[in-house]
Amino acid sequence: MNAYMQTIALIELSITCAIVSVWILQQFSTHALPLILKVILVILIGNLLFWPVGLNLPLVAYVRGVTGDLSIVLTLLLWSSLLPTTKPVPIIFKFAVAIISLCFYPFALGWGMIDPYAWGYGSIVFLVAVLFIALVCGMANCNRGVWIIALAIIAWAAHWHESANLWDYLLDPFLAIWATFSLFGATLQRRKEKMRSGYLFRPG
Amino acid sequence: MSRVIALCFLLLAAVIGFLHIDSRPVWAPFQVSPLQVDEELEEPVSGKSIGPNKLSIPAPQSNWLPDTGAPSVHAASLIALKDGAVRAFWFAGSREGAADVSIYSSVYDPKSAHWSAATVVIDRISAEQGLARYIAKLGNPVPARLADGRLQLFFVTVSIGGWAGSSISTLTSDDEGLTWSNPQRLISSPLANLSTLVKSPSITFADGRLGIPAYHEWIGRFGEFLRVDAGQVIDKRRMSSGRSAIQPLVLVNDAQDASAYFRQTRSADLPKQIPVSHTQNAGQSWQQLEDLAIANPNSAVAGLLLKNGTRILVLNNIEAGRYRLALLMSDPKSGKWQIIEVLEDDEALPNAQRKEFSYPYLISVDGDDAHLVYTWDRKKIRHRYFSGAWLKHSLSKAQSLETDTSTQEAQQ
Repeated sequence: MNAYMQTIALIELSITCAIVSVWILQQFSTHALPLILKVILVILIGNLLFWPVGLNLPLVAYVRGVTGDLSIVLTLLLWSSLLPTTKPVPIIFKFAVAIISLCFYPFALGWGMIDPYAWGYGSIVFLVAVLFIALVCGMANCNRGVWIIALAIIAWAAHWHESANLWDYLLDPFLAIWATFSLFGATLQRRKEKMRSGYLFRPG
Repeated sequence: MSRVIALCFLLLAAVIGFLHIDSRPVWAPFQVSPLQVDEELEEPVSGKSIGPNKLSIPAPQSNWLPDTGAPSVHAASLIALKDGAVRAFWFAGSREGAADVSIYSSVYDPKSAHWSAATVVIDRISAEQGLARYIAKLGNPVPARLADGRLQLFFVTVSIGGWAGSSISTLTSDDEGLTWSNPQRLISSPLANLSTLVKSPSITFADGRLGIPAYHEWIGRFGEFLRVDAGQVIDKRRMSSGRSAIQPLVLVNDAQDASAYFRQTRSADLPKQIPVSHTQNAGQSWQQLEDLAIANPNSAVAGLLLKNGTRILVLNNIEAGRYRLALLMSDPKSGKWQIIEVLEDDEALPNAQRKEFSYPYLISVDGDDAHLVYTWDRKKIRHRYFSGAWLKHSLSKAQSLETDTSTQEAQQ
């Protein structure tokens, strides 16, 4: 099982890294890349990362050495971003991730004797809280959030990754950083737009 | 419609999640062997009777773990084998944290009092391939005995940065350490699994699972008690908080009660003593207690609980430096710690010439004796053996000396 787990983790991370590379390429491109080109690029880059090309280890193993296994939530958010019909992640989701991360990491990294990370090993209350967040996503018409959280719970129960902790399937530092910066960026953008509309409609 | 399908899928995930939680093992009490009250310890021997007894007591033995040819060695640990021999593990390489560091092992035959030639358990390249990720360095091997009789070796790997970027990995052996399985990674930290290390012996729970006293040393410096089932952490509890205590050593008092002694990592203005935590529910929660009033210069503490309830500590009982290593004992009645023997002492030498005696590790094979290994000037690993008779006699002698001194003081 361990051998398969390692291979699956490397394939998963190769695809994720390839999607991030395509996203970066898209940022530098003036035109939107067609889906077929994106898929071809993901397959090419993914293979380049996965197979050990003249090295002792595949390139993705070097990435994994630094990042560890990414959460299922971040992985699926990235993967789903490749789809052409994907709506942007709702700001309320980013807000929830940023706030949870802000509260979670200081305690989980040793501030005080309470360790919220330990809840992830088998706390029913924690599982109920996660299900509640998924329900809120459903109510807010964010079906993608519901699917992703449900898949993360199933992956945890199936011991898909090395971790036996539900937190590791839901949250990781990269997701937390993305949510925080994205939220910050969205707030700045909103403020800019408000100011602009303020100038336009300012009474003369 | 799509929302209904998504919510139905969430319901399915919820059921699977609850079933998974329900299938998890409950927290078990510690496994304890019944204490054997030692009649000799009840009454300290008088000063006059020490002479005749001494003849029948074997003196402590001392030798060295085999030379690997590497200039730097550190972090030795021990485990008793089924045939009464002792297997040691340590890491060696060009320097601590170098890419050429490997984990070595050797077996001590108590009959011939010799160590076998050193063999490599795992090197950086095989760790990388087994764990399917880049590994920059290896460190701190700590062996344990599983309930099914196999050996398990926990060790530290670092992919990025210094020791603070460590994670714990593990190997198992079906043949007492001759061959080892592929490594597995333990996940114990939410931040890219960074900064969990292991140094001290594990504890066995009554259900056969292991309790690993681990610690973090990045951002916070604190102890954590990992409950491990085969190759995965299934629960963990915080043993201390803040930035002042690492490398917990757990001594189990009974099925629910245990004490943890730490290496202090406090700032200069705080006491340089051994921080202590205590549990009364088999490690499910820990309370920080008053320090043990023994000096600690930010260095590892080794300890052992013998069958008769006597406790042993080996540590650097100075506030700065690691040039003195002492063996202390405490009998179950008084609980008072006494220096039994100063094992190494370079105090008389100038600072520059003082050697480092560090990272002690203690085990007992029969519950009465003690095997000790420690780093000797980072160049060698020294092994010392103390028989049960010698330990008993030395404690009684120390107690009687103290009784005599206090009697004399009272008479004056």
